[in-house]
Amino acid sequence: MSRFTDEELKQKVQEGYMVESLEDMTEGYRKALRVQLTVQADTELMSAPSYWMAARHAPSTNTQVSAHAIIQDELAHANIAYRLLEDIGESKEQLVYGRQPHEFKHPYGFDQPLDNWAELVVANGFFDRAGITLLSDVYQNTSYAPLKRALVKIDMEETFHLRHGEVWMRRLAKAGGEARELLQKAVDWMFPMTIEWFGLPDDLKRHSGQLDYRLKGLTNDQLRQVWMASTVPLCEELGLHAPAHWDADKEEYVLEYPFPCQYDAVEKHWAFDEGEISWDAVFERWKGRGPMNEIYVEHVQRSRGDVAKWLDGKAA
Amino acid sequence: MSTTALPVARGRDGGLPVHVSVHKSGGRDLWSAPLDEAPSDPVAATWDALQEVLDPEIPISLPELGLIYGVGVDRGTVTVRLTFTATACPCMEFIKEDITDRLESEHWIREVELVEVWDPPWTSDRITPEGRAKLRELGVSA
Repeated sequence: MSRFTDEELKQKVQEGYMVESLEDMTEGYRKALRVQLTVQADTELMSAPSYWMAARHAPSTNTQVSAHAIIQDELAHANIAYRLLEDIGESKEQLVYGRQPHEFKHPYGFDQPLDNWAELVVANGFFDRAGITLLSDVYQNTSYAPLKRALVKIDMEETFHLRHGEVWMRRLAKAGGEARELLQKAVDWMFPMTIEWFGLPDDLKRHSGQLDYRLKGLTNDQLRQVWMASTVPLCEELGLHAPAHWDADKEEYVLEYPFPCQYDAVEKHWAFDEGEISWDAVFERWKGRGPMNEIYVEHVQRSRGDVAKWLDGKAA
Repeated sequence: MSTTALPVARGRDGGLPVHVSVHKSGGRDLWSAPLDEAPSDPVAATWDALQEVLDPEIPISLPELGLIYGVGVDRGTVTVRLTFTATACPCMEFIKEDITDRLESEHWIREVELVEVWDPPWTSDRITPEGRAKLRELGVSA
């Protein structure tokens, strides 16, 4: 039972109060925090098998080490977020090993295969940038003190991932030829994928309580703008086409395609020419999950069963 | 709705918090302009320049982290003896690139030679008191 009513708590966190433990939380706060941390934990966790399968394309042992260091970071970040969930009464064991693939809450982007080195480094450049955009905002604004402390290390490490992505995007762009073509292809599907990742536009956003409880500071549209403000200039500098530009009149980045629109996950193709679709159709696609969902989840969960049985002395 | 706005970067990293942008660039965003004239103490000037290069994983400088074992200058050639925190350090290439770029930005430096040293190996004892203080501020234990 919280020492505050929900209204009191909302008022207090808006005035800068930092929540330290369950005793401070109302059930509404706990639920909103649980949703946020679950998305964060699942996203970090599912990036690991996705990056791991792509890391086999690394062109040297040194590069392998860098790629695997990033995967190690992601697993550690997932571990931190699940640990924070345990503090508020959830079971890490159940969350990691007890759920079906479609029950994980990571974005649709991490249900997609990364088929070559260019796609892995664009994932670092785009997806990890989305991560740092979202988590920097949480760091700056969250009312949950344990999360704020944990994010210091997470943000520093994500910065390294982002740099890894940028450095390699620059190298591939400079190499020209097939490298540049693969890079552009990766940008073509991964740019709109990340844009969609930030979710419903503000004018359609259902009220989630995350802003009321000060679990984040910026809205979805603001976060999308922050992401574009560093991504679009990067693409321009590298001579890559990204379907967005700065609109001086509107004083914001604008997309050059219908948003949202349909995605063919097999062809890795956005159907710009078929026009705008409803967000219900997007949620339907997300709910159906992407082609790698079951493979990635199985990858994370598979060893658990056998080894746990051995340790319990229950092996057949 | 009150939100705290940390300073955000302008230009290419527009929107990202400044600390992210600075760190991601290896410190580049804050690097000093090259000296107008050749320094009277080139070894000290080299250390000063290295002091501006950040570790890619933790935003403290390479000398503060204890990675620089020695600096030698022979006319326009600067030799930096350095190590890494591990032989499988994921950042070796980035670190070498940052050192070379920072030093080569100086007009008085014609060539940069990097010599990797593994003996004695790096341990956390090599972190300087200044480095330790910064790590504590960042909430990282050393």
